[in-house]
Amino acid sequence: MTSRIAALDGGTYYHHRTLYEPRYREFFDGVIYTRELGETVLEDYDTLIVSCRTDPSVLRPHREKFRQFLESGRTLVIMGSTGPAEWISGIEWHFTPTNFWWWKEGGSLGLHVTAPDHPLFDHITLADATWHHHGHLIVPEGAVSLIDVGDLGSVLYDDTVTTPGRMIVTTLDPMYHHGSHFMPATTRFLDGFLPWLKGMTPS
Amino acid sequence: MGLCLFINPIKGAGDDLPDVGDHAPNIAQIDHYDLSDIDLSPYAALMLPAHLDQRFFGTLTTKIEGFLAQGGTLVFNGHVAWPMLPEFETFVPLESQSLENLIIHRLADHPVFEGVDTQHLTFRRGVAGFYARGYNPPPKGAIALHGVGPDRLPCDWVYHRPEGGRILMHAGNDLWMYAGSKDSTARIVPQLCLWAGGDDHGQGGAS
Repeated sequence: MTSRIAALDGGTYYHHRTLYEPRYREFFDGVIYTRELGETVLEDYDTLIVSCRTDPSVLRPHREKFRQFLESGRTLVIMGSTGPAEWISGIEWHFTPTNFWWWKEGGSLGLHVTAPDHPLFDHITLADATWHHHGHLIVPEGAVSLIDVGDLGSVLYDDTVTTPGRMIVTTLDPMYHHGSHFMPATTRFLDGFLPWLKGMTPS
Repeated sequence: MGLCLFINPIKGAGDDLPDVGDHAPNIAQIDHYDLSDIDLSPYAALMLPAHLDQRFFGTLTTKIEGFLAQGGTLVFNGHVAWPMLPEFETFVPLESQSLENLIIHRLADHPVFEGVDTQHLTFRRGVAGFYARGYNPPPKGAIALHGVGPDRLPCDWVYHRPEGGRILMHAGNDLWMYAGSKDSTARIVPQLCLWAGGDDHGQGGAS
């Protein structure tokens, strides 16, 4: 049995390409226009993806809905640049100046895998998650960071302890760049991340 | 000169976008979703960000057409994905992102791009592909300003609507991304504001 996934659509061109075009369409059992989230019933879904760069001002009124979704044991995926502190408790995000040019300057982003046995890494490699990021996260006690940036914190963690549900939180923004026909790593990330999510056993 | 109204990107757009207000002081800015309620009559031009909720903007067609019919100018950045205006067609991506396919060619002179070297549009820090990776097909009668790749696919065009008003289309990141740049692209923002805020909406050339 596979997970039934819904994803939020902020109405942008990059969400359109990611959520509606054939490459990933089969992974989404529902696509919810963010401004219609209030009247959408989430009961049918095991997993809800808050797509990267969704406007937090639109999410803020639905704080209780997100909380209940997690209370019912479901999985919430929170992607980068969605301002989660505004609409959910317990996420500690820190801004990092963006180095768009790290790959040209011979430097490193300092990303490293911290949980190599995590099943996500059956689907992606570190290189597939390596592009500029916009911040790092402090991992809640008991949650598992999958990828850290230096010794600052995490850019992707898996939290099955803070709520009865599961939170997968990242500062990465793959939908924006895939949807802009930009940066092949972001497409490779989604090529692995979405099948992994789909293959999760519903709780 | 009329006032250009910039619609701020959706708030999820991140902290990596320059604030155009720092480089073009004589402008107005509003939050994204305030566009539905604002009276557009005081403004000469409406400047849309690439981080646009196109489904929201598509609900405002009547308002936008009214603004254009009064002689307004609309500047659109990004890839057309949702129905918005009858002049818009869905974005067509490049089939291949080889260097040759990413080169920007000037097809017609235009005040917004006067003195802007197309090499500076094609390359940023020696890397091609920031300017355009496809095009939004222009309506019949539009004037192509820049073409991308050997087929000169019209990534920038300007259209004088027979019903009134002008549309400047750019199939890429916000043109005001170049605000304060260190090469000839720094000319774009002031020239864009001057052109879009101007009241000479004649049909001559590509102006």
